[in-house]
This record gives sequence, structure tokens and C-alpha cells, in this order.
Amino acid sequence: MSLYGLMAVFADPEALVVAARGMRERGYRRMDAFSPFPMKELDAILEIPKTRLPWIVLAGGIAGAALVYGLIWYSVEVDYPINVGGRPLHSWPPFVVITFEAGILGAAFAGFLGVLAANGLPRYHHPVFNAESFSYARGGKFYLLIEAADPRYRKGVTKGQLTRLGAKAVEEVEA
Amino acid sequence: MAEARANNPAVMRGRHDFPEISGRIGSIVLDGRLPRHFWTAFFLCFLLVLLLLYSITYLIAVGVAAYGIDIPVAWGTMISNFVWWIGIGHAGTLISAVLLLLRQPWRASINRFAEAMTLFAVAMAGLFPILHLGRPWFFYWLLPLPNVHMHWPQWRSPLVWDFAAIATYATVSLLFWYMGLLPDLAVLRDRARSRPAQLFYGILGLGWRGSAYHWSRYQVVYFLLAALATPLVVSVHSIVSLDFTFAITPGYHSTIFPPYFVAGALLSGFAMVLTIAIPLRWAFSVEDLITVRHMENAAKLMIAAGMVVAYGYVSEAFFAWYSGEPYERAMMAQRALGPYAPLFWTMLGLNCGVLQLLWFKGIRRNMPLLFAIAVAINIGMWIERYVIVVTGPSRDYLPSAWGEQSLTWLDFGILFGSIGTFFALVFLFIRILPAITIFEVEELAEEQGKLK
Repeated sequence: MSLYGLMAVFADPEALVVAARGMRERGYRRMDAFSPFPMKELDAILEIPKTRLPWIVLAGGIAGAALVYGLIWYSVEVDYPINVGGRPLHSWPPFVVITFEAGILGAAFAGFLGVLAANGLPRYHHPVFNAESFSYARGGKFYLLIEAADPRYRKGVTKGQLTRLGAKAVEEVEA
Repeated sequence: MAEARANNPAVMRGRHDFPEISGRIGSIVLDGRLPRHFWTAFFLCFLLVLLLLYSITYLIAVGVAAYGIDIPVAWGTMISNFVWWIGIGHAGTLISAVLLLLRQPWRASINRFAEAMTLFAVAMAGLFPILHLGRPWFFYWLLPLPNVHMHWPQWRSPLVWDFAAIATYATVSLLFWYMGLLPDLAVLRDRARSRPAQLFYGILGLGWRGSAYHWSRYQVVYFLLAALATPLVVSVHSIVSLDFTFAITPGYHSTIFPPYFVAGALLSGFAMVLTIAIPLRWAFSVEDLITVRHMENAAKLMIAAGMVVAYGYVSEAFFAWYSGEPYERAMMAQRALGPYAPLFWTMLGLNCGVLQLLWFKGIRRNMPLLFAIAVAINIGMWIERYVIVVTGPSRDYLPSAWGEQSLTWLDFGILFGSIGTFFALVFLFIRILPAITIFEVEELAEEQGKLK
């Protein structure tokens, strides 16, 4: 059984932010925070890179719209052209409606599947679930994880630092 | 500011802590000790589900003539039920998406069930165009599928647009709803004590662990989905209205229809939000999470949407007269004075008359009265859809072919059956999934300093 890291429990979000900032200042890089609701302050402290998912959503929207417009164009111009009183086959204004809907659908799927893929979900198991204290059952508990792979990680030292930063409990997490 | 605060009931009452919030919302689902009247109400809804199944079977076995439609009025309650149900769904999207984009804190505790309401309303709405087909088993002809007929759907037809719009709306609503559920499913997974419940919520929760990295991506995409749902909801009811306006029938062929239908959708949708929320907050004693402020804001949005609907009525009548077209004018006169006049005046009385009571703060904060008004508006909006659908074709360009349609038991069997099925689904949803968003309520409590 190898060690995955140390999990520190905090009672409120402010304590987590203080501790995350403190550990960051002490030079730790490989850490993660867990909270029952999103906390904007953590993005800057953990230096979470700005996500590129909006571009994926845009690409999904364009792909959906282009695919459906292409399908309609193919059906009216190539596969089944019907001349009705000499009207144009490629009469684009009515085709815009379904193209718009397809664009929204493509963008929504790209966003939903994209966020799951980027977060590595669905995932059957993750080492943090090995921590006894890690549970959202009682609502608001806030966790800071320092990975054992962090170059600054020293078992006793790190644990002491977390406790001094206000952790209610610190637990070793097995990989 | 202080005065304004004193006048406005808070979004959240009392002080809370995290275990209490997640415990109270989660235990509705996990302990399953629901009050007896919950199951009594579910049983009554289940009887209506059986009625719906019987009515649909009867309709398919006998044919569409079994309900009231008749030439020249070939569009009947199936179409008005469809428009009505789709409209009800729209308020859910408005609450969950538009209010999220506008960063309105009061949406947090009602968005979940509003989204569920959208899903179930769209599920009901989707039935009706298919039942209306006469040969419902051929509905897949609307899809661009390779088939033995070697033909394609008619891309220029609003009916095909409608199919695309409803299918997109249902799918996007489902994705948005499920994404919002993920963090709460993780809470239920951790709270669950029985093995089946742990497996059920564990699998649905997809292994969500609330990592800061996950939250940062999650929030960006959740906002983007809201931004996508907003134009979608406007487009869906506009496209529904194009089913009418593309026909040259008097009373259908009008450019006011798309905005008028969207406003009508919001009016009936908010009425349905109140119809569900007022009993819900009472039955589960969550009056401090879903507060009078929520109910009052929904009532204010109802009156805003309702005034746009009233403008739509005026505009329809004015342009029928201003067109100088004798048949348009005759249709409008017949709508007000002809065979459907009682329905027309009931509609005006409910949607324009009763609605005005909501101008008064005392009425907006009186829950039984607000509930009664919401139910009245729901009825008024159903009548509006029905009046629009039937009065046009019944007074078409050929006076010798003027005629009416009747309402048979089957019309009501399917309408009330669908209402019962909708509520049965809402009851099951309350039993199986958290009806109030746990993580957003916790965030709200944190932001507003309402923590113990």
C-alpha cells in the first residue's frame, strides 16, 4: 500500500482558503481542495488554469449546425432534388431554423461531455475516497489534499504545517 | 436600502448550518418517510395515469375522430394540449437558466424542481403531436432516417422544425438538469446507508468528488449551458407558434404570434411553478428555504408576462380589423360573439381580469389566494390555446364550410390523464431525487452569512 497524500479537514470555507494559501506559500504545488460548493478563491490559490472548454462548446455548436445544414443541402440538391414550379432547390431561409436548433444541441452535448471528460468522470474509484473523513454526508466539510508526490512533501513536517494552519484532522490517504 | 430590506421578505429565513441543510433535503429522499397525504395524492394521480393509458389505447384503436375534431376544425385539443404543456415547461428553463445568468440568488432553492417541471411538461407535450397524427406509429417519418420510401422530411415545414425544436429542448433540458444534480447526487451517495441506495446514487453521481479543479470547469460549462438554453427556450415557443402562422387561416396568420406565444408560455409556466411550489413548501415544511419572496417574485413575473399576453390579445384584434380583410374581421367577431364566445370571455376574465389581483402585495403574499389565482391562470391559458386552435379553422374563407367541433370525454380523458401523469412524475421525482438544490442552498447560506 503506497501513500497517496495527506487529507486535512476544515470546518468552514474560510479556514480552507487560509490553509490552501498557507501551503501554497510554503511551496507546495501538488494539492487539491474539495468543497461541497464551488469556491472562487481557490482558483487563484491553486493556480487552476483557465479552462478551454468554451472553445469546445463553440466547436460543438458549429459542428452540429454545419452537419445538419450539410445534410439538408445534400438532401435537396443532390439526393432528392424536386423542382416545384421552378423555385430554387437551395432555399436557405427555412433551413436556418433546424440549423440553429442543431447548433444548440451540438454545443450542449460538447459542453456536457466535455466537462465530464476533462474532469475524468465518470470514474469508478479515486484515492480520496479511501480517506475515512472524506464524506459529504453531513454537508459542509472542506478538505485540502497534499499529494505525497509533491517535492516538498515530508510526512511529519507537512502534517504539522496543516495542523498549525487550522486543520481539524489530518489523515493519511492510501493510493 | 434598510427600508427596502424590511419591505422585502428574505430569500432565506432563519439561520442554518450545513449538516442541517443537507440533512433536511436529503432525508426527504433517503428516509422515505413521506406523509400519508403524499401517497394519497400520488394514488389519485396514478388513477389518472391509468385513465391516460386507457384513453390513448382507445384513441389509437378507434382513430382521431373519437375525440372532438371534425372538418373544418381538424386541429383540436391535441394541439392545444401540446402548446399548453410546452409553455408550462418554459418557466422552468427561465428560472434555472435566465435567473442564473442574471445572478438572482432567489432561484437557488426552486431551480431544481422548476427544471424537473420542464422535463416532465416537455415529456407530456411530446405525446400530443404524435397522438394527433392519426397513425402515430409513423411519427418517425419526421426524422431524416434512411427508409424504404427513399424520401426526406420537408425541411421547409414548421411541423418538421417543431419536431427538431422539441427534441432539442428536451435533450438540452435533460443535460442541464443532470449536470446540476451531480454534486447533490454525491451528497446522497455519502448519506445513503442501504446498499441499493448507495449503488443507485453512486452510479448516478458518476464519482463526483467536489475537487476545486472540477468545480472551476463545472461552473464555466454550467453557465454556458444556461446561456445556450436561453435563446433555445425563446426559439422553441416561437417555432411552435410558426405551426400556426405559416397557415393562411384567419386567426392563425399573424406576425404577433411568436412573442405572444413566448409570453403566454411564461405566464402559464409561472402559474404552474406556483401551483406546485405552494403545496410543496407547505407539505415538506421548507417555508424557510422556499420563502414568500420566491412566491412573490414568481407572481410579479406572472403579471409582467400576463400584460404582454394582454397586449397580444389587443394586437390580434386590432390587426384583424386593420387588415381590412373581411374574413379576418369575421373570424375575430365570431371568436368574441360566436359559438366559442363563452370560452373566449372566460379566457379574458381569467388571464386579463383575475391576473390584475396580483398587483396587490397583500394578495401576492397570501398563499391560499395566490394558489387559487395560479390555478385559475392555468385554466385560462389552456382555454386560450384551445380558442386559438379552434376558432380560426371554424370560420375559414368559405362560409358554406363553417363549422364547429365538440369536446368529447376522450378530450378530457387525455387532458386530465396527462395532468395526472405529470404530477405522478413530479411525486416520483420528489421521492427519488433532491427537489431542492443542496449545494446552491449551502452556497447561498454561506454568502448571505446565514450560517450558525
